[in-house]
Amino acid sequence: MRYESILDVIGDTPLVRISPNVHGLNNIDLYAKLEMLNPFGSVKDRPAWNMTRAALPDAVARSDTIVELSSGNTAKALAVIAAMNGLPFKSVTNRMKVPEIKDLLLLLGAQIEELPGQTECLDPTDTEDPLTRMYRMLSEEGNGYLHTDQYFNPRNLDAHRTGTAREIIKDLDGRGPDVFIACVGTAGSSMGVATVLRDHNPDVSVVGLVAHKSDFIPGIRNIDEVHEVGLFDPANYDTIESVTAQEAIDGMLTLNRRCGMLGGPTGGAAYFGAVRHLRSIDDALTERATAVFIVCDRVESYMSYVRQRRPELMKQPPRANSVEALTDSEVAGARSVDVAEAQRWIEQDTRMVVDLRGPFAYSALHIEHSVNIVDELFDELLHGGLPFGASKPVLLVCPVGEKSARYAALLSKMGHRDARSLRGGVVAWRDAGAPLVRD
Amino acid sequence: MTIAPVAQELSSSDLVLRPLVSGMLLDVLRAPIALFGITNALGSPLNVVVPQQIVKNASGYRAVFAKHHLTGEIFFAHKANRSTALIRELAGSGIGVDVASLGELQHALAAGFTGGRIMATGPKDTDFLWLAARVGALVNADSREELAALAALVRRHRLPVVPVMIRLCAFDSPGVTVLSRPSRFGVHAREMTAVLELLDKNRDVLDLQGVAYHIDTNGLAEKALALEGCLHAMREAVGRGFRPTAIDIGGGFGVNYLQDRGEWERYTSELSNAVLGTRPPITWQNYGYGLRAEAGTLRGGLGVYPSHRPVAGARYLDELLTGDAPSLRRPLATLLLENLYDLHIEPGRSLVDQCGLTLARVEEVRTTHAGHTLVRLAANSRDISIEDHAVLMDPVLLPVRPSAAAPTGVFLSGNLCLEDDLITRRRVLLPQEPAQGDLLAFVNTAGYFMDFAADHALMQPIARKIAVFGGDGTWDWCLDDQYWPVKGGTT
Repeated sequence: MRYESILDVIGDTPLVRISPNVHGLNNIDLYAKLEMLNPFGSVKDRPAWNMTRAALPDAVARSDTIVELSSGNTAKALAVIAAMNGLPFKSVTNRMKVPEIKDLLLLLGAQIEELPGQTECLDPTDTEDPLTRMYRMLSEEGNGYLHTDQYFNPRNLDAHRTGTAREIIKDLDGRGPDVFIACVGTAGSSMGVATVLRDHNPDVSVVGLVAHKSDFIPGIRNIDEVHEVGLFDPANYDTIESVTAQEAIDGMLTLNRRCGMLGGPTGGAAYFGAVRHLRSIDDALTERATAVFIVCDRVESYMSYVRQRRPELMKQPPRANSVEALTDSEVAGARSVDVAEAQRWIEQDTRMVVDLRGPFAYSALHIEHSVNIVDELFDELLHGGLPFGASKPVLLVCPVGEKSARYAALLSKMGHRDARSLRGGVVAWRDAGAPLVRD
Repeated sequence: MTIAPVAQELSSSDLVLRPLVSGMLLDVLRAPIALFGITNALGSPLNVVVPQQIVKNASGYRAVFAKHHLTGEIFFAHKANRSTALIRELAGSGIGVDVASLGELQHALAAGFTGGRIMATGPKDTDFLWLAARVGALVNADSREELAALAALVRRHRLPVVPVMIRLCAFDSPGVTVLSRPSRFGVHAREMTAVLELLDKNRDVLDLQGVAYHIDTNGLAEKALALEGCLHAMREAVGRGFRPTAIDIGGGFGVNYLQDRGEWERYTSELSNAVLGTRPPITWQNYGYGLRAEAGTLRGGLGVYPSHRPVAGARYLDELLTGDAPSLRRPLATLLLENLYDLHIEPGRSLVDQCGLTLARVEEVRTTHAGHTLVRLAANSRDISIEDHAVLMDPVLLPVRPSAAAPTGVFLSGNLCLEDDLITRRRVLLPQEPAQGDLLAFVNTAGYFMDFAADHALMQPIARKIAVFGGDGTWDWCLDDQYWPVKGGTT
């Protein structure tokens, strides 16, 4: 297929059936709308393009900055569109919770502004929250900003009315699904698709999924936050159900491993919520039904999100020569020397002092002639073997003598014959009045 | 943890925000008869402080220091409470005090603090600076101008060399712009060079101990950025030949006020619904605490303290220290330790967590024309300024005659002839309808809520204060200014 611009690739995403062996439903055909296959990687490519395309020529003429309150996929798509048109893009956010997206936005040339946290000395009569102030600044005429305003902009909904919804109906042979399940973020996709499906088939049942109140699932609002979304209208959903972060990851793993769909946690939440809801109606069905959910983006950006919540999924095989594998008695057996003895020992030739502290601290003050190998790096070196001869006399130094004792023990265990640790570390060294130098 | 047995009869779906109560405050609430007697004698409102608790709270912070092998001092932010008993108890422990006025400094000195354990912060007049310098207190300076004035003062009055810190208030962030509220205290990190120049000219009178920040936020990212900024400022000072030893990260570690996260979540959800009009109001005149409805959409922001807050106090400090510095990319605790810096903290609110409560007598119960139950207390919203600080937490009812009557939702008003003198704008569900002479106990008020704003408006009395002490479930009391640490006997 040939296109003139990457922007023309947005939309026309595939609708793929989930195998009944995976979802276990008897009377329902479940389809995934793979929005993750949009060119910038998510369902937000559609509204991002639809909210900017008409305003772009004027914005380019004025060199406006595109600005959006987003910490995720909308920001990503807008950053690309802005960069393609030579415009700056600014993303304003409460907190970037997904570090991979943050780095990607910076890589795309976006500017990110994080709003301040809540004040400790609160004044409840102060309604000037940072967000309100930001909105006021953005809504001033001729301010040099193109504010796409995704939570309130009807062009967000339109992108899904004219695109996503029609594609689903067409791919289901013109009849549309009986059940539509969507996560509620800006409410753009769920509301936009749902209104068209309902026009087409008034009996369609629409399930909106929100995040559990104290949980964070990227791209989904919790039950309180949805009320802050201008596009959200509760009357458009037959039910609103909540999903926890752990359930979202469960759903994501099923999509990733069993279905070969590399969707992220939002798609996982949609799958989990879809199957949970459909299971409750499956047995009562007398004829076959069709259901559709949206896989909104890809899994790759959420590695740290998953690592934080399911560290066991990322478990690596234990590496050779690791301090974690030392026994207490091995650590206790490490040779250590006090400051006075260390000073005498250093006097002799062929002695090596390794300072395990960070370079910032080392460059400020250190023991003369010591070598700085920061602990992380030293750790990495030891996985591969001894970084110096087994008989090279060496003194390890850290802040309080705890880490250096562990590494001295590890060196001995690896066959080093002359390793020791400075008891009490640099702190003891300083307290004893021994000299520290700065180069 | 539940106090009055009646409180348990509230159903789990009721909109309640039960306060966390522990330690001696629980013992005190278990003896309502004694409390009726004391309030009869000393009047309503009445503040109760628990000096021994403050030392226990400090040991929580000490444990975090020890976990990270860090040394440094804890300075109690005096402004959180005026109690003499609390300050005297601190003077008897190893904890320091952070004073922000001449009065607080004199108070600390009279309680037995020596100058070396006092830090002077905030806006300072000449008298305050003189006394601070005279007793050898650490002066945490707000500006270059203050340092210049202090240097001149020390020379003019031939005072000893004064240990000083400089407070920083704004920092440049790498990669992502981390916005913070502008502060009227402190200097921008970029002004450090100019500050060091001034200090360089005054080495004979001012001795730079380190740098400080205090950022009014609960955002860890902002504080991590500030702490890293302080590390860079220390480096600059070392480069100029100074020997600074400590970084002071101020306070603002927060308190968890509520027992149950579910209650907090349910309440805040229902508040949104009430503001949107999808349920009956749960506040006076459907007050929204910053939220408002516009065309069916919730606008504004919920301007309340996160009253249920699992990561608060010492745990918050631990999270901050465990986290990485934004550009040096090592844990902040490791950076402090390996640079051999001491860490100073100035907790206020969190150091007096569970250190006090405020009692108020019910004066009148009436039903308004609109059908609301309005309970007037012999106290006002300045005596109990929980609402001013946007903390949402229910009081505990101590009825003269406990009954099995049904729980009642009431509004609590104060003794000022002012429309807005409401102790709280929330309708509070009490286990039974209060009657004249009952007491309401507002717990955990020692941090800012019991005497920060109290005044003599309308010539109403300001609350008297008592100190309670003891152990093993028994307690005794005395007037606040009659308390000395020898009474507690445990420290």
